[in-house]
Amino acid sequence: MQCNTYGKMAYPKTHNPFADDDEEEPQPRSRVGFDDRQEQGMTEADRKQRYLKQEVMRTANSAVESSQRSLALIYESEKMGTETAEELMRQGEALKRTEKMVDNMDQDLKTSQKHINSIKSVWGGLVSYFKAKPETTKMPEEPVAYQASSKLQNALSHSKEHEDKYQASHPNLRKLDTGGFGATASVDKKSSSQNGYPANEHLRAAHQRLDNNLDEMSLGLSRLKNLGMGLQSEIEDQDASLDNLLGKVDKMDLKINKTNEQLKKL
Amino acid sequence: MDNSGKEKEASALMAEAEKKLKSSQSFFGALFGGSSKVEEACDMYARAANMYKMAKNWSAAGNAFCQAARLHLQVQSKHDAATNFIDAGNAFKKADPQEAINCLNRAIEIYTDMGRFTIAAKHHISIAEIFETELVDIDKAIAHYEQAADYYKGEESTSSANKCLLKVATYAAQLEQYQKAIEIYEQVGTNAMDSTLLKYSAKDYFFKATLCHFCVDMLNAKLALQKYEEMFPAFSDSRECKLVKKLLDAYEEQNVEAYTDAVKEYDTISRLDQWLTTMLLRIKKTIQDDESDLR
Repeated sequence: MQCNTYGKMAYPKTHNPFADDDEEEPQPRSRVGFDDRQEQGMTEADRKQRYLKQEVMRTANSAVESSQRSLALIYESEKMGTETAEELMRQGEALKRTEKMVDNMDQDLKTSQKHINSIKSVWGGLVSYFKAKPETTKMPEEPVAYQASSKLQNALSHSKEHEDKYQASHPNLRKLDTGGFGATASVDKKSSSQNGYPANEHLRAAHQRLDNNLDEMSLGLSRLKNLGMGLQSEIEDQDASLDNLLGKVDKMDLKINKTNEQLKKL
Repeated sequence: MDNSGKEKEASALMAEAEKKLKSSQSFFGALFGGSSKVEEACDMYARAANMYKMAKNWSAAGNAFCQAARLHLQVQSKHDAATNFIDAGNAFKKADPQEAINCLNRAIEIYTDMGRFTIAAKHHISIAEIFETELVDIDKAIAHYEQAADYYKGEESTSSANKCLLKVATYAAQLEQYQKAIEIYEQVGTNAMDSTLLKYSAKDYFFKATLCHFCVDMLNAKLALQKYEEMFPAFSDSRECKLVKKLLDAYEEQNVEAYTDAVKEYDTISRLDQWLTTMLLRIKKTIQDDESDLR
């Protein structure tokens, strides 16, 4: 956003007839113009002012459009984030299932080891008969539904608190007072330029829209931040799960190989 | 790439495998370890099938895998049989979708028999996808997705179950089975709003449920909207909720332009996808019909 154009808007044309004289407008009016300002609305100064006003409107509009685009991008990122979150949840469940199955396999391997022992030698068989049944490792009470990390709850409430405090303290985030444009409206009325007042209405509306968009953007960004943090903690949990699983599977691999060899020797 | 060479090899292997089979069925073969012969034949069928795959002769590969699977069934090795049926299904997917579905169905039977519901559910999804894309039969696709969701729920994998249920709901709404779609969206939405990660998608589900209500009757939509706002306060802040409120107002005033404007405004920020556009058009048509009725 170009603040200097707003500056020019607040302090419009410098009523310096001599400066405008240098304009190379090939219109006959300009040479006669500045003394008859009252009669002809299209003097150099007025034209320049109108041009500046148009510039301002253009800048304001492009700012609004670009904020629309940013808003769209934010919502798109949010959509992608939510889809990722769902995939992550699914993956987490799959990991839990895999871990359970690996534990089952472990159990099965233990029983088969017992059987092999009993086959290998009668004495071994007697020993294992008298040995107490190995305790089936207590399956930790799994929560039926997969619980994502609860760190997010804290992060969520924290960030909401901070967000409110931040908004109150930060000067720029307070609603911009668009009443300032009232001043220019009065100045324009004095200068009898036809299109001063409507331009201001539009400008005010544009600024209003811009403010609304910026508010929505800030809300969206904070949601994105929370989503990101939630995703991060979920990924960390799954990472730990994966490492765990890797260890178990490696051990399982060794056991299976051992069992195979024993079977071959039988 | 001597793919044609591979094909010849493959056909040679198939012939050998058949010979082995025949020999195993004869008296002496059965006496002297018929089962090992059958297993060898299975192996050869599998190898032949892989070679057909390399030569991109999908239907021959599928056939070979099917043969191998049937042999495995004979010797009661269900796991291997099921895996071979799956391989056959994958090969047939590229050539003959109907055959693929048959093979996949047989594999699913074996898996459900063994109690492996998760993997059966996964293959139900594959079948449903074939029905979605190749043999466009939406009803059967829905049936398979539902079956998959049931199996997943039985195995406590709620996220995978929800994924299938959402597909069912999308198609049901397209086929105007709004009640079913509404139930599913409400259920998934309520489920999602409690979870820390999933609650960001909950508003989407409530939005879709409200649209389905709207297609049925406007009053339903209003009541539903209030209900969802009570259940899930964050829903009221979302743009989707604001859009629905504008649409409800436009409907009450029978104002088609306001309706289109609201939709266009929403579209400038988040593009509407195919499903949403269809539903919104349907609702718009009801407004226009009412208008013409009043005249």
